[in-house]
Amino acid sequence: MIRESYRSVDDDELVRSSVEGDRFAFGEIVRRYQNMVARTVKGMLGDAVFAEDIGQEVFIKLYHSLPEFRGEAKLSTYIQKIAINLTLNELKRRKRFFSMFSQKGNNEMHEYDIPDQEHEKRNEASEVVNKALLQLDPKFRIIVMMRLLQGYSTKETAEILELPLGTVLSRLSRAQEQLKDILEKL
Amino acid sequence: MNKREIKELILKSLDPETDTSSFPEKIGNSGSHFSFGSDFAGKVLGRIGSAQQTSIVRDIEFLRGLNSAFYRIALTGVAAIIILLISIFISEGSLSLNSFLGMGNNVDETIICLLTGN
Repeated sequence: MIRESYRSVDDDELVRSSVEGDRFAFGEIVRRYQNMVARTVKGMLGDAVFAEDIGQEVFIKLYHSLPEFRGEAKLSTYIQKIAINLTLNELKRRKRFFSMFSQKGNNEMHEYDIPDQEHEKRNEASEVVNKALLQLDPKFRIIVMMRLLQGYSTKETAEILELPLGTVLSRLSRAQEQLKDILEKL
Repeated sequence: MNKREIKELILKSLDPETDTSSFPEKIGNSGSHFSFGSDFAGKVLGRIGSAQQTSIVRDIEFLRGLNSAFYRIALTGVAAIIILLISIFISEGSLSLNSFLGMGNNVDETIICLLTGN
């Protein structure tokens, strides 16, 4: 579903072609941004089997919303926002679901994750990153994910999350406190 | 990258002054890969295609249902109209406008009788 000739085409052209129904052009968009979405989804939800389903949902939602994409923001930012919204919705859904069966708090959610086959192959560094992120409160986790896994600046993080810069900075500081405790135990 | 280095990197990412643009690459090099399975794009396009097909099939089924409902309603309506015409013809003896309006030959007098009492 990926055509080599699209590799050099810019995002705007790919969006136009996708809106006109060119599936190969959309396939190229998926290929270009799938790792970015994987970092967001897996960084937030853990390396669980359903993380890939959420990743697919991100691109399906993108496909349906492309006709409304006006190109005011970068395509990567637009996709990132969709990925964050769907991931946060999934976290809320899971929190509601697990709260019906467990009195445990939010921090225990990751214990219910179903690891995929790749989980077994993870190395030490990967384990540290995953465990550290999943033990963080989701509102801090998202900030750490944006900085550590996506490499965004604090300003970009604030813009994408639609939060004031001050809120991002204060969350970074509080996340740092939480992470120090978490990392000591790992 | 060992465990201590990765911990330092994580904490460094929380410093607002640090430029983290190279961090995703460093994390990737450490062996921490965040990626989806093989042929992810194919799976996404497959789901989009099947959703579109489902939507088309749903539209066709809806139109078929609407068509069949229309025929049923239309035939029932035609049958009702025919029964009404026959009943009017039997009771009034003709299919004139007065017959349709329920005003046969004696109707005017009946109304005058009703209104005047004579």
